Amino acid sequence: MKISVNDSDYAFDAAITLDELLRFLEHPQSGSALAVNQVIVPRPQWAEYLLKDGDNIVLFQAIAGG
Amino acid sequence: MLNDNEFMRYSRQLLLEDIGMEGQEKIRAGKVLIVGLGGLGSPAALYLAAAGVGTLFLADDDTLHVSNLQRQILYRTADADDYKAKIAQRELGKLNPLCQTEIFTHRLDGGNLADLVARADLVLDCSDNMATRHAVNQACVEAEKPLISGSAVGFSGQLLVIEPPYAHGCYRCLYPDLDTPTRNCRTAGVLGPVVGVIGTLQALEAIKMLAGCASPLSGKLRLFDGKQQSWRTLQLAPSADCPACGEAR
Repeated sequence: MKISVNDSDYAFDAAITLDELLRFLEHPQSGSALAVNQVIVPRPQWAEYLLKDGDNIVLFQAIAGG
Repeated sequence: MLNDNEFMRYSRQLLLEDIGMEGQEKIRAGKVLIVGLGGLGSPAALYLAAAGVGTLFLADDDTLHVSNLQRQILYRTADADDYKAKIAQRELGKLNPLCQTEIFTHRLDGGNLADLVARADLVLDCSDNMATRHAVNQACVEAEKPLISGSAVGFSGQLLVIEPPYAHGCYRCLYPDLDTPTRNCRTAGVLGPVVGVIGTLQALEAIKMLAGCASPLSGKLRLFDGKQQSWRTLQLAPSADCPACGEAR
């Protein structure tokens, strides 16, 4: 399965969930948000949301500054 | 009806088909709450006052520090140590005496915030911390008031528009952490034009919405990368059982 995360390509042997992707990237959940194919996936769905070949993921952090 | 003075002052936007006399009268009747008068709130307040928004509620409990002047374009060097809301009221009054301002120099708590949100037609979140952002989101959901939320740090900016009936969720659906350590301008730095871009776009959406135009950003999030000069637009989605908007949906 090939996916793109913030415009970088990744390949995995099997389908993984968003939770597993974050663990693979060693990225904390806290303060993070994820979109798959330009649609935000709310945090409670990350554990079960299974990524598909070709998915385009945007991973970003909350910003509070102003 | 607009008087001659207003007709002349707003002539360049009256020419726009989407604004016109009718839109300008709606803008004049509009009441906007701006929470935070820093790098986002400065350009937002300037543009909204200039455009003829009838009433601005200006909330900031901070005083001006010399390190603010690099990006907070409402203020001048000689204003240091004064309350930002007081300086803002003075400067906006000079820019457009037709715009009424009410200032709040204490931190808005639950009750005060709810009262103020209830009096506003829409709310601009220009604040600098997560706790305030969640409190503003909650108050807007409870009062069913549109929220135009902006934030910026470093070269990055974020802009989202949240409106009832919250089909695409709210701020808390996107960021469920109430108190997460996030980078802010003081700890991580920021460039003036980056906050300027986001604050300006908050004002743009507010003017259009007051004039009666639907915001194409409603239920969407825009991410700005000022280093790459790139934008991403993402569709927001509601979180099941969101403590803020779950019952309002």
